[in-house]
Amino acid sequence: MFQFDTLSLIFVALILLGTIPNLFYSVGYLPHIERKSYYVVHYFTFILSMLGVVVSANALVFLFFWELMSLSSWQLILTEPKEKETLLAARFYFFMTHFGFIFLLLFFLIVTNGDLDISFSQMKGIATSFAYPTILFFFLLLGFLSKAGAVPLHVWLPYAHPAAPSPVSALMSGVMLKVAIYGMFRFLFDVLYPWPLEWGTFLLIIGSVTSLVGILYAMGEHDIKALLANSSIENIGIILIAFAMGMIFDSLGLQILSTFAFIAAVFHIFNHMGFKSLLFMGAGSVLHQTHTKNIEKFGGLIKSMPITAFTFLFAAMSITALPPTNGFLSEWMIFQSMLSSSNITDDMTLKLAIPFAMFALAMTGGLAIATFVKAYGITFLGLHRSTNAKHAHEVNFLMKSGMILMAFYIASLMLFAPNYLHFFDTMLVDMGMPSVYAKIFPQGILHMHSVGVHGGVVSPLILFFALIFVTSLLLFAYKVFNVKTRYYHAWACGYKTSAKTQYTATGFSGVMRRFFNWLYKPQEHILKKNLAGHETKFSDASYSVKIKPLFEITIYEGSKKIANIISYWVYRLGHFEQTRYPAMIFNLLLFVLFSYRILTHDVNWEGLLIESALMIMSIKILVIGDKK
Amino acid sequence: MILYLLSIVLLVLLAPILLSYIKATKMVLLFKRPISIFQGYRNFAKLMHKETIISKETSAITSYAPFLVLSPLIVTMFFLPPIVVGSYYVSFVDAFTITGLISLSTFFLMLLGLDSASAFGGMGSSREAFISALVEPAMVLTIFSVSLMAGNLGVGQAGVNLAEHFPKEHMASFLFAGISFFILLIAENGRIPVDNPETHLELTMVHEAMILDLTGVYLAIIESAASIKFIIFASLFASLFMPFGLEFSAPIAILIFIVKLFIIATAVALLEVNTAKLRLFKIPNLLGLAIVFAFLSLITFYVLGA
Repeated sequence: MFQFDTLSLIFVALILLGTIPNLFYSVGYLPHIERKSYYVVHYFTFILSMLGVVVSANALVFLFFWELMSLSSWQLILTEPKEKETLLAARFYFFMTHFGFIFLLLFFLIVTNGDLDISFSQMKGIATSFAYPTILFFFLLLGFLSKAGAVPLHVWLPYAHPAAPSPVSALMSGVMLKVAIYGMFRFLFDVLYPWPLEWGTFLLIIGSVTSLVGILYAMGEHDIKALLANSSIENIGIILIAFAMGMIFDSLGLQILSTFAFIAAVFHIFNHMGFKSLLFMGAGSVLHQTHTKNIEKFGGLIKSMPITAFTFLFAAMSITALPPTNGFLSEWMIFQSMLSSSNITDDMTLKLAIPFAMFALAMTGGLAIATFVKAYGITFLGLHRSTNAKHAHEVNFLMKSGMILMAFYIASLMLFAPNYLHFFDTMLVDMGMPSVYAKIFPQGILHMHSVGVHGGVVSPLILFFALIFVTSLLLFAYKVFNVKTRYYHAWACGYKTSAKTQYTATGFSGVMRRFFNWLYKPQEHILKKNLAGHETKFSDASYSVKIKPLFEITIYEGSKKIANIISYWVYRLGHFEQTRYPAMIFNLLLFVLFSYRILTHDVNWEGLLIESALMIMSIKILVIGDKK
Repeated sequence: MILYLLSIVLLVLLAPILLSYIKATKMVLLFKRPISIFQGYRNFAKLMHKETIISKETSAITSYAPFLVLSPLIVTMFFLPPIVVGSYYVSFVDAFTITGLISLSTFFLMLLGLDSASAFGGMGSSREAFISALVEPAMVLTIFSVSLMAGNLGVGQAGVNLAEHFPKEHMASFLFAGISFFILLIAENGRIPVDNPETHLELTMVHEAMILDLTGVYLAIIESAASIKFIIFASLFASLFMPFGLEFSAPIAILIFIVKLFIIATAVALLEVNTAKLRLFKIPNLLGLAIVFAFLSLITFYVLGA
């Protein structure tokens, strides 16, 4: 019923590490939740069900806990159902999570032959004898990636995660998404093991697109929690890129490179759990003090909320992969495993294709810096942009300690990266991969090597201490120099310096919005009170912009439209006047006769064309009739 | 080891001279009376004597960010390829670390721009964020291509390898990578087609807009950071794309290296005189060119082996 192998234990550790700081934060947050017992019950159910998912040993238990996890998080989104958006987000989440569940169920019904009690290793035999393993792979992808939020199944994420109370958003983004990745690890390794090359390549494309789309929408977002949720999509994309590189190398027989890539994926999972939880906690503290999620209403919070601001800065540096943080290390590993594609000998197409994924990942990194400079700069720096931000003060002790604990966890990932990597290595060895720990650290823990031929080297600790040393030397010199310092207002071209003269978040991302106009298709609203009919002179003006994700418009609303059209025609069919029914019967007869002829005799294309044209004409004339 | 430290000190000292030299060359070409090439030092000395004025709207970020802008660049100086054969060099640091350190410096510069609550700072940060987001992919691809030719990802080692075995058989992809890197050199340092470092006009400012509210020692620090960043890129270009003249005895080799730096500076100055600054929304075209050349370099290396 339950199993505790290394893979499970690594993810148990992940969940516990994510939960403990969150508990502190949650307790601090609790006084502001009206339905306390409701919240507490679902909160603990949620945590326990996540633990249940990663330790379950058969399909039935897995599906039970998976469903429990979905339902409890769905209920947690509805903790404060005051706004209509929350209800809509919860409904969307409920739909999407069950969309994925159906595919998981299908997967399990096939690989267990209907007997959901058998263990994962027994499933492997059935799966290998199944004629279409790619269908199983796609079921897995649809099931798990709809939870993890990969393109095009990511649209619910920026709605559902911000709607939940902040500690829950931190858990959902930081931990629950990783449980879905656990599912990928578990079933791809245990059930569907020898992977064809195409699976990895497909996943690589998905990952690259996901990371770019996620960060581009994060850039355009003005709701701080939705921004973070979009950035989660990006990071899931990065994890998928690493995972896909592992799959590609494995199917090419390059086992060592494959293990390196998988270690990079797990490392990024741990990193993302840390910094995304911390960022959501910081955003929650800000939201809690200012009672708004709109980034344009913040500003200057670093003065009133220093601890939130500095932990947020630390997490932002880590998520944008700046050295010497842990985020940089995992992204470095992913880049190195992509660079190792030059070691592939026989597949030229793949060698040329992987640089495109590298391009996507590098672009993602650059845009992530822009996004988090915006998120941090507009929220914490400058002057307060609203009265709410003016009256903000530091959050209570428990919430602070939650954030500080999480910051310590991130720092531990940075300083003790070799120890963490050793755990991940043990996990992959237990899953049947070769050990690469000794190859990553051949000369002690100071230098991290890439395992590819002529790979790169990075020395996180040396970098860290060199940066600290140089910076403190400079600061010391500044102190010794004893510079005279004067404080005065910033110069605003002769006007009074006020919050209104600052750059806004809309303005900050304006350049990007214009360049990526084809993707964003922003809906702009400009209101101006013109003076005496002059086009260019106005007393009062407001500009607002809203970005609706392209995927939502095309795939989701498009399929809604198609369903509407079909249901309209079905409705019309049922409500024809009775004289048309004989015509319908005639058409059906015609259809059956034609199909019979086509199926039993050899297919004749001219005949087929004429017959279908006849069918369409008779349906149009006899059944549908003229438009009224 | 002494040679290693000496070369770092030399490069740091050379940094302001190089920027002043570009400016002087431009002035000569525009029939103006040129400034002295030691103008950078004079500016530095002048700023060091001024008092620091910090705006009341700023936070702790402003008092620490200038140091955090400079220190990653100083750390990077230690990781550059050697300029003389036999000199010590750090072989283990790869190009991702260097781009990461430069990003770290830019990150704090952008925060600095947003901290002063002025519209200029935000504008500069926004533009810088846009440009550096587009620089990043070209940078990674160029690095990849050069490392393939050099047979090593470590920057120091790559410089040595290229000097020992000049990749004659990969001349085409070497050239493409060189073009791509030169565009990046211009874009990252805010030279003319991308940014004009000499004007303070809100239409054109990128780098200057972010530091508009700084003065005194802080401004001196940021200015030295800018000149050090230029010398990092110039000496990377000199070591990776002009890998010759290292085998001579130390004084001559150093002299050759300095001449190479001045050649690069002259090329930048000529480019600045002969082109107009691009509109902000045309910059992606230039950077797209860099990305295309980086891809071309990779593809020629893989497919043609040339």
